[in-house]
Amino acid sequence: MFEIITPLFLSLIVGGVFVGIVFGAIPGMTATMAVAVSLPLTYSLGLENGLALLLGLYVGGISGGLVPAILLGIPGTPSSITTTFDGVPMAQRGEGEAALRIGIVSSLVGGLISLLILWLFAPTLADFAIRFSYVEKFLIIFFALSVMAALSSDMLLGIFSGVLGVFVSLVGVYDISDGGNGELRLVPPGTEYWLDGGFALLPVLIGLFGLAAILEEAERGVPSAASSDEIAIGKSSSFSFSVFRGQTLNLIRSSGIGTFVGILPGVGGSAASIISYTNAKTFSKHPERFGKGEPAGIMASEAGNNGLTGGALVPLLSLGIPGDSTTALLIGAFTLQGIQVGPLFIGNNPTTWNAMIFAMLIANLVMFAMMYFAIRYFALVVTVPKHILFPVILMMCVIGAYTINYGIMFDVWTLLIFGVFGWLAVKLRLEIAPFIIGFILGPSAEVYFVKSLESFGTLSIFFTKSWIAVVLWILIAGSIAGSIAMSRKKAGQVADPS
Amino acid sequence: MTITRRYLLAAASAAAMLAQPMMAAAQDLPRNIRLVIGSTSTGGDTYQNSAIVADALSEKLGVNIKVDAVGATEAFKALDRDSRGTTMMMFHDQSYLGNLYGVTGYDNPFENYTVGPTVAINPGNAYLVPKDSPYQSMEDILAAAESGERVRVAIQPGGVSEIGFSAMKNAARLRSPGSEENIVAVNTGSQSDKNQAMWDDLADVINGSIQANEQFTQLPEDDQKAMRFVWVTARPETLEQAPAEGMGDTTRDQLLQYAAPNSSVPVNEEGENFTFDKEFFFLFNQETPQEFIDAVDTALAEIYEEGTIQERQKAAFFIPNYLPTEEAQQHLQDKRSTYEEVISEISGDAS
Repeated sequence: MFEIITPLFLSLIVGGVFVGIVFGAIPGMTATMAVAVSLPLTYSLGLENGLALLLGLYVGGISGGLVPAILLGIPGTPSSITTTFDGVPMAQRGEGEAALRIGIVSSLVGGLISLLILWLFAPTLADFAIRFSYVEKFLIIFFALSVMAALSSDMLLGIFSGVLGVFVSLVGVYDISDGGNGELRLVPPGTEYWLDGGFALLPVLIGLFGLAAILEEAERGVPSAASSDEIAIGKSSSFSFSVFRGQTLNLIRSSGIGTFVGILPGVGGSAASIISYTNAKTFSKHPERFGKGEPAGIMASEAGNNGLTGGALVPLLSLGIPGDSTTALLIGAFTLQGIQVGPLFIGNNPTTWNAMIFAMLIANLVMFAMMYFAIRYFALVVTVPKHILFPVILMMCVIGAYTINYGIMFDVWTLLIFGVFGWLAVKLRLEIAPFIIGFILGPSAEVYFVKSLESFGTLSIFFTKSWIAVVLWILIAGSIAGSIAMSRKKAGQVADPS
Repeated sequence: MTITRRYLLAAASAAAMLAQPMMAAAQDLPRNIRLVIGSTSTGGDTYQNSAIVADALSEKLGVNIKVDAVGATEAFKALDRDSRGTTMMMFHDQSYLGNLYGVTGYDNPFENYTVGPTVAINPGNAYLVPKDSPYQSMEDILAAAESGERVRVAIQPGGVSEIGFSAMKNAARLRSPGSEENIVAVNTGSQSDKNQAMWDDLADVINGSIQANEQFTQLPEDDQKAMRFVWVTARPETLEQAPAEGMGDTTRDQLLQYAAPNSSVPVNEEGENFTFDKEFFFLFNQETPQEFIDAVDTALAEIYEEGTIQERQKAAFFIPNYLPTEEAQQHLQDKRSTYEEVISEISGDAS
């Protein structure tokens, strides 16, 4: 195995991680895009070296998303949404640097735990994953959706916002590539040309989190002074590893959830961080601190989304089925080299398998080293005066929206529409977090719900399909009960402030 | 040596020049061309094949060609908007099958666009059953349908995945009219969904591919994931040329056992067998200047004459299949007519 570890192999991992972090850190650019751009290069690099580059990009891209999520409130990737919940309040308190370091350490823990699970249990887990049919996948999505209420300041408005998000996500064609009928739904007459593909996720995301925030700041009036006066990065409290005391279980649980969700094809990385986050909140002694700058929230979110990296490789390498959109690209790298990925891959290609594990390990360590020690420079972004920073962010958002689907102008309009919507939604007391969670999970929920009914023909199948379904219902019931209890407690506190 | 501003400028200019492709062979061509593809996946066969062809064309023509995986609907829209030749499209048989199946967003490419040269075939389209299935062959499946047994086939509706299913129904109808009703579609999405449908016992037969499913056929019978090929839709002549690397541990002779005429799915009363090769070809806006299409044609002819592209295509399990525009149009039109007949027979539209 050691013959493949050459200076080129190592430098490709380092280069990949660096470029991946840059892609992840720019709003609108994603790990998937970084891997897509670099895919053709792998042909000339050979399989192991090509994979070193792509895996570096993958780990870097997923991790880089936490930087804009914490410092700018714009998730660099959809799976960083929950990082904004506590990252932004911490940054606003002057603890941006600490928040970033917490995120980076948690990312490393998530990445390493999932890698360990991948290395030890890949084929066994793949066999377990195929027990999850449409029914169980729908229930997992439903479980993730059930947390909407817990993430809202007003339960009813939160649920309404989440359902609205699901509704908006279903605009467009019921795609045949999802097994749909290819028919248009929820599209007003005359708009079919633009809306047949619906609203793309990334433009919606950066519109709601990026443009809306800029519009809000503009409404308040942007001061010409440097924003460093308002957000004194790292001044009010410095980072200490003691923040992780008592969080071992949270980190392991979140990494495990991320890995597990990654193993299930079609469930998606966002569900990983959402479920990790709400679990951390549910099991916390201080759930009321979540959403207000609680380090445990960042830990859960980042350990969860990096836990995905190893998990998503399990079905890819054990079944030839990608766990997420980025690993779907890795199949291309294998095919370009004439290697088939499937249940015999690991046994037939031990060198490549070991090279991948080693590359993932190095990529995680390099990611940690690069981000941890460069944090001071990342953090400088908030010292840029807002009248300079905002136009740059706006420009990046527009470029990101335009390029995300390889040059579709309607995606830029989507960015604008949802930027304005996000700005108005706050005034209407709608909740953005449940809305975007509904928007992200809505299409999968629909497909798995419809397919479950098409396949089994009865609603009772959701309760009787398997013991996994029963366990998932218990989790869903617990999540709903927890939300109601939390909401009542909050209402009680408002009624009796003493 | 002192590095002056002049040196830096010269170095920058040199770098910029090197970054440009070599001088355009055809001076009239746009310098930057967008090759949109009918798939949103950058890991799939359409993207891989397009990337290989775009690389070779870019070098030959001395222009920049960028492959954009925008998906079928957006690709057709992009083609509609641009008649200058700065946008061309690469897709496969789905472009006309989608139209034949009436999928939203698919116009008849032969009427609305200029169909260009073909470049490659993916010979992998196949149908599989669980390894412990009672069905050993297509004959068993058609016989089961004839005896009134319901056979569920997992497909992605509206195109390449469905055409083999339509052929099965048509064969059942020819064998015993009415028995085609016993061959029913289980509409799924990706390959992962089709496999899962089999493992969940929701489908008796699934559409798949040699590349994606071959390793599952090597698993022992007691493994829940184990599968067996029953039908490879490629023509035997196509399979003869298929690169051995893409076949895994299955030999060419074994694969030929699953293809026509050994695995027979009749398409008409004369007993002619149904075959399907997934072919990739160019599409242009109808108003694209003929000189542009000719330039692409000539460049492709030279590229295939040189022979390097064939090696890259074969390494990715494609069969090189260059046909110049005129020949390609005729060939694809004929293919479309055959499939139109099959689809209309089973939908009862045949006159």
